[in-house]
Amino acid sequence: MPATQDPRDEAGEVIRITGLRVSFSTRSETIRAVDRVDLTIKAGDTLALIGESGCGKTVTGMAMLGLLPQNAKISGAIRYGDLDLLSAPDRTMQQIRGKEIALISQNSGNALNPVIKVGDQIAEPLVIHRLFAVQDAQKEAIRLLSALGFEEPERAAAQYPHEFSGGMRERILIALALICNPRLIIADEPTAGLDAQVKAHTLRLIKAQIAGNRTLFLITHDLGTAEYLCNRIAVMYAGEIVECGPTRDVLAMPLHPYTQGLIASLPSAGLHPIPGMSPSPAHLPPGCRFYERCPAALDRCDCEHPELFEAKNGRRVRCFHYD
Amino acid sequence: MSRKILLWVSVAVLIVYIAVASAAPLIAPQGPTAITGRPLDPPGAAHPFGTNDVGQDIFAQLVWGARITLLFGFFSAGLSVLISTTLGIVLGYYGGIVDEVACRIIDVVLPLPTFVLLIVLTTFFTPGILVVSLLMGLLSSIMGIRIIRSQVLSVARTSYVEGAKAIGASDFHIMSRHILPNVMPLVTFRFVSASQHLLVMGVGLSFIGMWDTSTVDWGTMIQNAYSQGGLALGLWWWILPPGIAVVGISLALAMIGYSFEDTFNPRVGVNRI
Repeated sequence: MPATQDPRDEAGEVIRITGLRVSFSTRSETIRAVDRVDLTIKAGDTLALIGESGCGKTVTGMAMLGLLPQNAKISGAIRYGDLDLLSAPDRTMQQIRGKEIALISQNSGNALNPVIKVGDQIAEPLVIHRLFAVQDAQKEAIRLLSALGFEEPERAAAQYPHEFSGGMRERILIALALICNPRLIIADEPTAGLDAQVKAHTLRLIKAQIAGNRTLFLITHDLGTAEYLCNRIAVMYAGEIVECGPTRDVLAMPLHPYTQGLIASLPSAGLHPIPGMSPSPAHLPPGCRFYERCPAALDRCDCEHPELFEAKNGRRVRCFHYD
Repeated sequence: MSRKILLWVSVAVLIVYIAVASAAPLIAPQGPTAITGRPLDPPGAAHPFGTNDVGQDIFAQLVWGARITLLFGFFSAGLSVLISTTLGIVLGYYGGIVDEVACRIIDVVLPLPTFVLLIVLTTFFTPGILVVSLLMGLLSSIMGIRIIRSQVLSVARTSYVEGAKAIGASDFHIMSRHILPNVMPLVTFRFVSASQHLLVMGVGLSFIGMWDTSTVDWGTMIQNAYSQGGLALGLWWWILPPGIAVVGISLALAMIGYSFEDTFNPRVGVNRI
């Protein structure tokens, strides 16, 4: 079997998350950040994980990279080929990170090391994974900078991060993730903090880069970004997946009341916010986690916890209305 | 602006000292211990700084003494910074129980007076200039470990370090390529201030006879002048040159250190405007 094929099942699955639970214990309480999450990403798939801040979407992404903080309690499994990423030894994870599963991180101002030239930072994954010699890695970095719309890539490579604008830095972060040609790209809010025009430009670049049948796992709170980049969508609420299906279907006909609320809260739909707040992950209600805010709640929703029910067209939804 | 001039003057002074120390064999080819004149000659054409009680040239002693004194200061400071940077980065990056234990040990050792601790420690070894210098480096690194560790704590939590983990970088790679360059300004500052501190301390230790008194350095020069009657007789040319030499380099290093601090710590530099 050729090397480029190996960590995939017959079904073409790149990654399969089953029953992932992540919790953080503090002295007084236990915070359940992610609860029984099941997700499968197939080769060439583009999946968006949507949800509000603190719903556990970033924790899910970090779990795939094995980069959760040490105090995280993790159970479940993340299958990557023959490997369980949750129990893989550190050295194996180091070899996978950046080379096979790469992260486009949030552009938070210090996402790039301020004292290392941009070209060197982009080339770094190639050098770490010994794919290229330093000289060739530099050339590769310059080539990628040019592909990502830098007009003078040689000059850009020799500059430091503070010499670039937010949008340019985000493109540099994209280059950093793409350079090893990874099997799976995890993008965590790749357009956070960018203005509308730069955001559109950045999204176009990401779309162009993933066009060649690349696999993308997008973490975002922005439905528009998810719609533009992804063919499948999973909606997360208070640590659980509440709805999952093809992007077009989910957006055209959302099944879960939370998804309906999300779409109604878009400016284009009249900007109707969902009343209330999501429950604290330290004190989750016994029933449906959306019960408090749900306009269509049933009596049983208060004390019974809904499963992820199968709906039509391969969609799944965690709501008793579809039981 | 005046700070900037002060920095450049200080750097120039430092360069002169280092140049003189390196060129000692050219400047005073007779060596520091050669008897080249009558005892206790005041400064004159043959001996610019006069001679001491056995007729050795004070200028030659000063020039050769600079080698030992500077070397002691810079070597101990280098060692001190090496230890504090390595341990500071490792403890700050990994944290955990080892870090906790190390910090408590530092808490215990830190308040002990270095000078006394050093004198006690030297009783376990044959006191020599190298031993004293190693011990000085070790002892003065303790404060540095703490300072550098606290800086590493904040660097280790930045997104670029997280990002470096996400590209599969090893811990060693992260510490050497990502964290070290970001604490380097602080390390440089620590080196300069430790050099100043340790150089002056070296002169003091040599004065009280921590190593062979026949070694010619500025401390033994002052010690000789003091014990052989130079002070009592008011022979200023014997006692002043090493004293002024120490003050000069100490000031220069201190000024360089302050200018660095100005740049790194905006709160100190407010009055510069």
